[in-house]
Amino acid sequence: MKKFRFLLLDAGPIIKLFELGIWEKFIERCDVTISSTVAVEAKWASQEYKDVKINLDTYKEKIKIIETELSLASTFYTKLPNTYKDDVEVQDGEVQTLAFLCDSSLDWRLCSADHVVFRILGLLGKGEQGRSLEEMLKEVGLQTRIRWDKITPRDEDWKYTKKFREKWTFEGQKDFIQGQGAL
Amino acid sequence: MDIGQRLKIAREATGYTQEKVFELTGIGKSSLSAYEHNYREPRFSDLSRLAEIYRKSIEFFLTDQPITTEMMLWRERPIDAGVAKETEARFTQLCEQYRKLEKLTGEVKEVELPRIDIKADQFTYRKANFLAEKVQKEFGLGEIPSASLKQMLEEKYHVKIFNLSFPGSAISRLSPTFGPAILLNKDSKLWRRNFDLAHELFHILTWHIFRIKDTTNAEPAEGEEQFANAFASRLLLPTDIVKNRIEFAINERHEVSFEALDEIAREFGVSLDALMWRLLYLYNKPAEQIEKYIAHAKNIMDNLPHRKSDEPEELPERYCRLAIKALREGKLSLMRFAKYMEISYKLAQEYLTEDEEFKDEKISISVA
Repeated sequence: MKKFRFLLLDAGPIIKLFELGIWEKFIERCDVTISSTVAVEAKWASQEYKDVKINLDTYKEKIKIIETELSLASTFYTKLPNTYKDDVEVQDGEVQTLAFLCDSSLDWRLCSADHVVFRILGLLGKGEQGRSLEEMLKEVGLQTRIRWDKITPRDEDWKYTKKFREKWTFEGQKDFIQGQGAL
Repeated sequence: MDIGQRLKIAREATGYTQEKVFELTGIGKSSLSAYEHNYREPRFSDLSRLAEIYRKSIEFFLTDQPITTEMMLWRERPIDAGVAKETEARFTQLCEQYRKLEKLTGEVKEVELPRIDIKADQFTYRKANFLAEKVQKEFGLGEIPSASLKQMLEEKYHVKIFNLSFPGSAISRLSPTFGPAILLNKDSKLWRRNFDLAHELFHILTWHIFRIKDTTNAEPAEGEEQFANAFASRLLLPTDIVKNRIEFAINERHEVSFEALDEIAREFGVSLDALMWRLLYLYNKPAEQIEKYIAHAKNIMDNLPHRKSDEPEELPERYCRLAIKALREGKLSLMRFAKYMEISYKLAQEYLTEDEEFKDEKISISVA
């Protein structure tokens, strides 16, 4: 039985898992679901990485790549308050993933390394569904060379930490409390 | 307007055929046709791919906002209409992204540019000169206007100026959505770009005079182009200052050498040709004589070391600054930031590191 049955992955953590060389182990331990647009974006984003070549099509047997109806994205946009539409800008893959998560009645977790994704989850009252890569790796028991306790906001790996997720989720929750996110 | 219509309009705006779209995305002609005729709704990933090559945001296809076509004024429009449309689509995308960044960072400011009110048929060279003087004065451009014109337009008046490689010289537009914008050719020499900038500025300042009828992409009349050249010449080569330089360079035979004129042209950031045409007005020389001088100068200057140009950045400094600010304030996602900045995702990550020390009171400067 895998540890997580409903796990959505964003492009940032996918690239990092490949970079750390633990992608295969990770998908053995979790039921990974990726939106079709994130899969394309992860491939694009990994181009500059020397030893990372991502083609998620080759893992189709082991992970789930989802396609979504356009109406989901439209509904998601309507859920965002007007003030927020001018206040945040996310990539298409993130829209697709967030729209899917918001529409589903299942208890999904979304592992991201993007501050705006966490901020939106906080705003939408879904902060507890966000996960950092640090939390995910600890929960599935995968060791890496990263010393999580030593990472500071100045480090490149900061965005994979629990503190980073908490900080930006809190920002979204603050927006909600201040009325920006009244749904 | 439905999604099918929007897809068709967006495709045509880039000048792409359905075959070209297939080449770029792998989306077959029959699928694309079905999407455009609303026989089938596109899958999200297909729409995302189409939005990317059409240089539109995905929201564009999901909203009910009416689509407006805006006029763009070309200097040397390429004969190939497809190439022209592709350039226009890229220019529009950059302008829209720029406006989005202004909104995200709360820096939308409409700054009024100098204005002259007169009817088109009453416009004269004298008026073009008057407008150039007005700009020079209001902008505080100093003795060498080319040195500060671009910065002043970008930073104070928030004119959106991009440098891209494209066939053609320059494009200007005055958009109700994102304000004044100019596209310059990155491959042009510095002095040519300076002149093009001043020339396009004229079109923006006189948009309300010459573009009363909203005819899309109407070419400027020859007379208007000449006014724009006169304006640019007067703006970049201020009368008294240029005359002083020339008089200082007069030799014992009461002549000015081409080398000396070339030095002056360099100093003012214009081409030797542009300076020589300015002499026509400054010293009442006949046009035929100026043409002879230019031909003669060309022979001489070909044997001298070529002037060095520069390699301008494609994106304006203010645009980049706003993008970084939006990223750090949690308003622009990392992947989106990479796309806006036209950099790799890997490089984009370097901008996300946070430095708490910058918020520390100890290094803030008190002005109290």
